[in-house]
Amino acid sequence: MADLRAAPGASLDPAAPADRPTSGTAPTGGTRRRRAGGLGHRSPLRPWLLLAPGLVVLGVLLLWPLVRVVLLSLQDYGLRQIASGESNWVGLQNYADILGDSYLWTTVLPNTVLFALACVVLTVALGTAVALFLNTLGGFWRGVGATAIMVAWAVPAITGTYVWVWIFDPLNGLVASVLEGVGAIEPGTVNWFTERLSFYAIATLNVVHHGFPFVAITVLAGLMTIPNELHEAAKVDGASAWRRFWSITAPILRPVFAVVTILSTIWDFKVFTQIYLMPGGNGGNKDVFNLGVWSYIESFAQGKYGMGSAIAVLLTLILLGITLVYMRTLFKEEEL
Amino acid sequence: MQRRSTVAVTGTLVLALGLAACGSGGGSGSETTGGDEATDFSGETLTVWIMEGTNPDADAFFDEVTAAFEEETGADLQIEFQPWASAHDKFTTAIAGGTTPDVAEVGTTWTGEFADVGALADLSDRIAEAGLEDDLVPGLVESATLDGGVYGMPWYAGVRSVVYRADLFEAAGIEAPTSWDELVAAADALKAANPEIIPFPVAGDSQYGAMPFIWGAGGDLAVQDGDTWTSEVSSPESVEGLEFYTGLATEHGFSTAAATTWKETDLLAAFEQGQVGMMISGSWTPGKIVSDVPDMEGKIGAFPIPGQTEGLSDSFLGGSHLGVFEASEKQDLAWTFVEMMTTGEFAEAWGQQSGYFPGQTSLLEKVIEEDDPMVAPFAQQMVEAGRSVPVTPLYGQIQGKKTLETMLQSILSGSATVQEAADTAAADMDETFGS
Repeated sequence: MADLRAAPGASLDPAAPADRPTSGTAPTGGTRRRRAGGLGHRSPLRPWLLLAPGLVVLGVLLLWPLVRVVLLSLQDYGLRQIASGESNWVGLQNYADILGDSYLWTTVLPNTVLFALACVVLTVALGTAVALFLNTLGGFWRGVGATAIMVAWAVPAITGTYVWVWIFDPLNGLVASVLEGVGAIEPGTVNWFTERLSFYAIATLNVVHHGFPFVAITVLAGLMTIPNELHEAAKVDGASAWRRFWSITAPILRPVFAVVTILSTIWDFKVFTQIYLMPGGNGGNKDVFNLGVWSYIESFAQGKYGMGSAIAVLLTLILLGITLVYMRTLFKEEEL
Repeated sequence: MQRRSTVAVTGTLVLALGLAACGSGGGSGSETTGGDEATDFSGETLTVWIMEGTNPDADAFFDEVTAAFEEETGADLQIEFQPWASAHDKFTTAIAGGTTPDVAEVGTTWTGEFADVGALADLSDRIAEAGLEDDLVPGLVESATLDGGVYGMPWYAGVRSVVYRADLFEAAGIEAPTSWDELVAAADALKAANPEIIPFPVAGDSQYGAMPFIWGAGGDLAVQDGDTWTSEVSSPESVEGLEFYTGLATEHGFSTAAATTWKETDLLAAFEQGQVGMMISGSWTPGKIVSDVPDMEGKIGAFPIPGQTEGLSDSFLGGSHLGVFEASEKQDLAWTFVEMMTTGEFAEAWGQQSGYFPGQTSLLEKVIEEDDPMVAPFAQQMVEAGRSVPVTPLYGQIQGKKTLETMLQSILSGSATVQEAADTAAADMDETFGS
């Protein structure tokens, strides 16, 4: 995704001012000159020349690290290799180890996939609901509401995570105090961070809370472009609010939903900070690892950089696959 | 006054070193010869990495060191502070990129790892030349030793014992326990007198809290046989120790479910909030407790971790070495600095300011003689019952994947029995040792 979005922007900056007289003019100018000058053979090259500076920057900053991670994933690479600078090829051994490990199939992958699924569904649903609500408000209150939810978005993941950890602190946390107040539990007798399900429930709250404002603001922007007449006409025909959402709003906003869903999926699959910083998430409780945490622990805590890279490549491949499926569904429906 | 005497001491040391170097007749690896050259390094700069946060007033300390060092050698000193949390990554990238400093503070559990990849210089000849080999704390030398070489100069050390609420003990008429049975009795009495107190929280995310009980019952983490290591955490003795330690929580109810995921810092925070009766805690924490919560002054005490029936249980002896990097071109200058920092007046001052113990035995004995009630129990623990984790780079990997913490948390949360969890941990360790 980053490549697609960044490429045109990055290439414009260095190239456009330099070549303004020829390429900056209207398309007609270009065609006329090509016909007159007979310089047609240069034109297939020209876009690439113009793109070159941007592509070089992207290649160095994005492509090379990517290639490097793939190369690392084919090696048994530790501190010794880092110090000596030597390679230590093992072929696909790292991948075989990972894929042959029942831990991946019983713990890490279900954690990653189910957690991401829950987060995406909840984030998009909550975000859309909030957007619909904001859309019904007047200009002033919409501004107030939008600002309020943007605060949740602006809070760094680290800070947000600590806040949620404090809220659920088994001994002194808000939730424990409230439950104690109603006589449900004795503080300190229940630790929500040790059980896989309750651990991820808290993580989901954290991630959804942090992620829904982006969806809400994006969907709100989309909602504001829907002509009011459509809704009015439907109302006259006696359509309920539910029916109007599914028959008018949802189809028009389909591209918007596609974008927020794809982005949320990518973000929620590679959640790291929010898990790692939770009690037990930094390695002490192997039941709660996801792919990101597992990769980090293997690479940096144990110095097995090859193994960590292989996990990272695996995560990337899964994400590519999911994005591909999304894109295909999207384009197929547009063709129809 | 202070400054002058410091310079005099280090001056003497450097002179002695120079003479020793002459006397050894160039048999050592050092390329510089002659005592006079050893004192003239003007124009050179020595780069040093020091970990952040050990000494609350490190800037002032190193201002003095820099001045003394310049006066002594003519060379400039560049001290760069590194946070502990990112230091390991920083070392790794520096080793990879060839940008290591000349000298660095290296945590004792890392020294073996960095030495193993050839990043650190062997200091054993220089230590012998300086006549220091019998004056260094053995536990710290052990953790710096790899295949007969010594790759880090012992600088300072800390050890964990039990920190407790002396006021509550006194009010309930409880004596400091000297065996495990007495520890249970003390916690019971404390709980009876103060129902709202957590008598002895068992922190699940603290490996060093469990080690004294594994060792105290006669168990071990791993044993070496030739070149290979084998895990011992599932041996009957280790399991017995673990059963006692986790039993404090699961059987006796001296802990809280919250502590299952506590790190040592969480333990300390709960203690500072007045919720805790006793805890396994480091020699550097009493000072911090009193400075964080002045009300605690005079209300806290410490005792060494009691042995199962008598004596003491061993406790992990951690700390820092000063390592000289192999890639440094200023080996002689670097050693001059290392010796200045780790022996004599500066080492003593560092210990006093930071709440750690010096790595030089003669200085440590001086601290013990002072008999400070908040220092003496830790000093006793360190001298009589300080112990190192297995000295192999592989053990760093095991610590990295938190094998012991995983074991503790699964026992405390009830998802595994002690034997099951210990078996899992042992298999996990052996997998790393075997690879």
